[in-house]
Amino acid sequence: MARNKYDIDEVIEERFDLGQLRRLGRYLIPYKKDMAAAAFLMLSASALTMLIPRFFMTLMNDLIPNRDVRGLFLYSFYTLLIILYSALALRLKIQITNRVGQNVIHTLRSDLFCHLQELPFSYYDERPHGKIQVRLVNYVNNLSDLLSNGLLNTITDLCSLIFIILFMLSINVELTLMCMCGLPVLAAFAALIKRRQHRAWQIQSNKQSNLNAYIAESINGIRVTQAFVREEENRGIFNRLSDSYRQAWMHAVRFNFMMGPTVDVISAVTTAFLYVMIVNMTMGGDAASVGVLVAFTGYISRFWSPITTLANFYNSLLTAISYLERIFETIDEPVAVQDAPDAVPLPAVTGRVDFSHVSFSYEEGVRTLSDVSFTAMPGESFAIVGPTGAGKTTIVNLLSRFYNVESGTITIDGHDISKATLRSLRTQMGVMMQDSFIFSGTVMDNIRYGNRTATDEEVIRAAKTVCAHDFIMQMENGYETQVNERGSRLSAGQRQLISFARALLADPKILILDEATSSIDTETEIVLQQGLNELLKGRTSFIIAHRLSTIQNCTRILYVDKGQIQESGSHEELLAQKGAYYRLYMSQYETA
Amino acid sequence: MTPMKWFYSFLKPYRPRILLGLILVTFLAALAIVNPIVSGMVVDDVIQGGAYDRLPALLAVLLLVTAVRSVLRFFVPYNFEVCSQGVLYRMRDAVYRKLLLEDFAFYDRNRTGDLMSRQTGDMDAVRHFVANIISSIYENILYLCFALIMVFTINTKLAISMICLFPFTILLTFVQFRHIKPAFHKIRTHFSSLNAFAQENISGNRVVKAFAKEDYEKEKFDRENDGYRDAELGASEIWSRYVPVFEFFSNILTVVLMLYGGLMAIRGELTLGNLVTVNGYLWMLNMPLRMAGWFVNDTQRFITSVEKIYATYSAEPEIRRPQHALERKYLQGGVEFRNVSYRAQDRDILENVSFTARPGQTIGILGPTGSGKSTIMNLLCRFRDPAEGEVLVDGVNVRDMDLYDLRDNIGIAMQDVFLFSDTIEGNIAYGRPDCPFEKVKKAAIAADANHFIQAMPDGYDTIVGERGVGLSGGQKQRISLARALLKDPAILILDDTTSAVDMETESYIQTQLKNLEGAHTIFIIAYRISSLKDADQILVLDHGRIAERGTHEELLRNGGYYARVYDHQYHRKGDPSHYGTQ
Repeated sequence: MARNKYDIDEVIEERFDLGQLRRLGRYLIPYKKDMAAAAFLMLSASALTMLIPRFFMTLMNDLIPNRDVRGLFLYSFYTLLIILYSALALRLKIQITNRVGQNVIHTLRSDLFCHLQELPFSYYDERPHGKIQVRLVNYVNNLSDLLSNGLLNTITDLCSLIFIILFMLSINVELTLMCMCGLPVLAAFAALIKRRQHRAWQIQSNKQSNLNAYIAESINGIRVTQAFVREEENRGIFNRLSDSYRQAWMHAVRFNFMMGPTVDVISAVTTAFLYVMIVNMTMGGDAASVGVLVAFTGYISRFWSPITTLANFYNSLLTAISYLERIFETIDEPVAVQDAPDAVPLPAVTGRVDFSHVSFSYEEGVRTLSDVSFTAMPGESFAIVGPTGAGKTTIVNLLSRFYNVESGTITIDGHDISKATLRSLRTQMGVMMQDSFIFSGTVMDNIRYGNRTATDEEVIRAAKTVCAHDFIMQMENGYETQVNERGSRLSAGQRQLISFARALLADPKILILDEATSSIDTETEIVLQQGLNELLKGRTSFIIAHRLSTIQNCTRILYVDKGQIQESGSHEELLAQKGAYYRLYMSQYETA
Repeated sequence: MTPMKWFYSFLKPYRPRILLGLILVTFLAALAIVNPIVSGMVVDDVIQGGAYDRLPALLAVLLLVTAVRSVLRFFVPYNFEVCSQGVLYRMRDAVYRKLLLEDFAFYDRNRTGDLMSRQTGDMDAVRHFVANIISSIYENILYLCFALIMVFTINTKLAISMICLFPFTILLTFVQFRHIKPAFHKIRTHFSSLNAFAQENISGNRVVKAFAKEDYEKEKFDRENDGYRDAELGASEIWSRYVPVFEFFSNILTVVLMLYGGLMAIRGELTLGNLVTVNGYLWMLNMPLRMAGWFVNDTQRFITSVEKIYATYSAEPEIRRPQHALERKYLQGGVEFRNVSYRAQDRDILENVSFTARPGQTIGILGPTGSGKSTIMNLLCRFRDPAEGEVLVDGVNVRDMDLYDLRDNIGIAMQDVFLFSDTIEGNIAYGRPDCPFEKVKKAAIAADANHFIQAMPDGYDTIVGERGVGLSGGQKQRISLARALLKDPAILILDDTTSAVDMETESYIQTQLKNLEGAHTIFIIAYRISSLKDADQILVLDHGRIAERGTHEELLRNGGYYARVYDHQYHRKGDPSHYGTQ
């Protein structure tokens, strides 16, 4: 799949799928009782509140004409009790609905996050990170209103609508049916604009995602932007994205704003018809039926007011669906690299690694590795050298099973890694990558990331082994110094040393150093080498490096080019071969 | 300036529109009263009274009013939405512009996710307020005033007895307003923190997987997720105490009407008809009093967000374009550091560094990790200002130069290669977005990148992932080098730019650099002697001081750090020619 960038809209599913809502509904199941309790509170409160107009009628018809002061106080007292009850019910309802709403959001976000942790590198590589983030944080948040208030209000509105229809039916069936004639018209209108409305909100969510992606990148890349004086240009891009977000928003809300007036018009027209019908009926009718008809008119407006709320709810549903689609799409994203159904934990390994006829391509048709085979015995240290882009990193990525091999097998101690659980595999490996990522937190935390149970002493020992102790101690709070996620307070070399310590602390059986020392100065590297030699004992290691000085102590060297192992042997053997490695080695000195 | 004044400056251009909106809201509110009256007339006069001939006219009014109302009910919210989106658009632009101006120190202090929250979640609270709350508050005040006037005209005593309840509501408004503020502040902080955590987890996904720390991340995420939920619930716990009280007070009006109105009716001070009329207006009094609690919520939510946004906006960068900058569009590239010192967190990073580079010279910089090499370059680009001393370019202090002119004349390939999720062409042409493709290709050739770019399925149109994922370290470095070369700058800085490329590539790049047209002052920071040895002058840094300086030969003769490194890299391993004969 082609990569996405900030100004490319993500593909959207045209189809409008109610399944999304059903799926969201499943998140509500654990809160059935809470929801029922809240619905009961609301319905009981509104049923009681409906008594107040009747009290008022009694007041008008009996109490005041009869000068019944006691009755007046009594009914006022009843009213007071009712409003006290409804205030109390309201408080409980707010608490329950918020708890349910926030908990559903919490679960949904948690599901999304957990799934994101399982998704392979390729998922993260294919799109700007801001677009993943917007789903996890903003889209999920956008559902809160719908879940906390919208749903419950809708339930109670539906209930009161049913009550009203029953009342109306009991008065006059014909008129009730006439009144309900407006509903299909409303439904038809909603259906008419549904596709466009849905689409408009989808576009809106896309534009929001684009803008978020661009903001994230702008902040992360600010140094480059400032260095290249791209401020004006970027501001232009930002405003373009910001404007298309605005336009998309304005386009989408238009559809929502149409619903209210449509309900108005339909209600006015049906009401007018009803009046005509009622007048026709009364013209020849008796006094008794006139009273009934007057009563009927009282319900007409009551009939339409819950429908207005329902129409609003329908709007928020359509809006929410465009976010839900994105959320569920991510949750449904297949996990390319996952534990096989019959996966077993890898036992504690000695570190023998076998690659047998391994081939791999990142993109279809472009082979990155073809037919790679080699065996590393426990404790051996392998150097992987070769031109950039030859496939060196790919070899170690496959060993950690960040990607699945296309063909061939990789075994550790004879266990096929595709049949082992990922956790058991990766916890026995220490990988230090080209990009040394630093998390925001203390230096201590960053090193301890490799092994959370490590004591402070163990962390410090690891730091000392990789020559990081001295510079860490020079920082204002030593190991407790806060560093931020881009690690900007540290030089690239210092960051490499910290992530080096992190990899060591994990105490892996298999250690992978991918250009782990490219930004470390020679003197440090020499000291590091001594510690490293000590460390490599008893571990199988794979070291990718351009500086040959880094790898000269390796027991075996693989020279990789064009996705294949071209030469393999010890340093001396390869030099004697006078092949590619020899040329590479000589070139380091020719330029001197 | 206060946060609210700042916000108001964005609202100001929309004053006419908002005013128009409010007038239309008034009109709408008036129309809302018409239809019930018409309906009442239909029931009373036509159905009960038998004045059937009046029906068509009444229905016509009913339909006409609805038609007008419908149009308005579409236009009014749309109008407010236009205002709010306009305010937001400008606000986002202002914040973005400010972010572009902020210096490195600011970005050292703030997490990406926190800054993003200002531009997304906090903006949304502002949107909601302008689009919905302003008109709602106005509408409710309108109803309140209208209904009060009506009640006053009917019966002063009754009106006053109702007004007696208002102070409670008003007082409650203030109490809730103050009480709820910390809760909303907490929500925003937790939101921001959740956002920052998510951002970091996504960026660091490789490390998470490499260390199989998914469970640990989930645990940390749970804490963030819990924290945000609990903050939301904490706020709702507070307002769930107030909102029902507002509801209660608003409903008390009914009791007052029943009891006091009833008593007055019994005493004959009020007719039954009056009582019915007042009862008809009661919802207009009820609603504002009931809604007050919600308005307090939304308003405080909005204020908290504006404060958060403004706090970010008002952070003034220390490094600014001088007011009267010297106009120097094209620099020669002469660089001088005069007794420059730089400190960060009470630690000396650079101490008394002085050197001179004439235009066209190549300066090599060597030194241990963390010795201050990149800091020198940051000072030269004026990403940071020195604590003492001066940095001069073409004899002018960089502080007196226009920041953009200065940086425009410097091409830097940074140690941390940051690539944007854009095409490779877009990345190389980052500094000159409009330049023709030939120049992009030329720069790529000089950086030895053309080869591997063309081997990619989409060539120069290949989109690279954020931070250049999908490319190897050496490939990223070469794209970053091409990006710097494309600017054809007077000063070229290569900060550890070839550490991840092989030797052959490096020597090719060095030849290309020598053959660059025109004079370029080049700074090369590297650990490999091979990268530095041809420089006109080599500086060796140690703990922020220049420990050694001179040419390759001079430094070798010196027998210091440089010579030691040279030994390590070339001689200690033995003369390579030995292997040739083995």
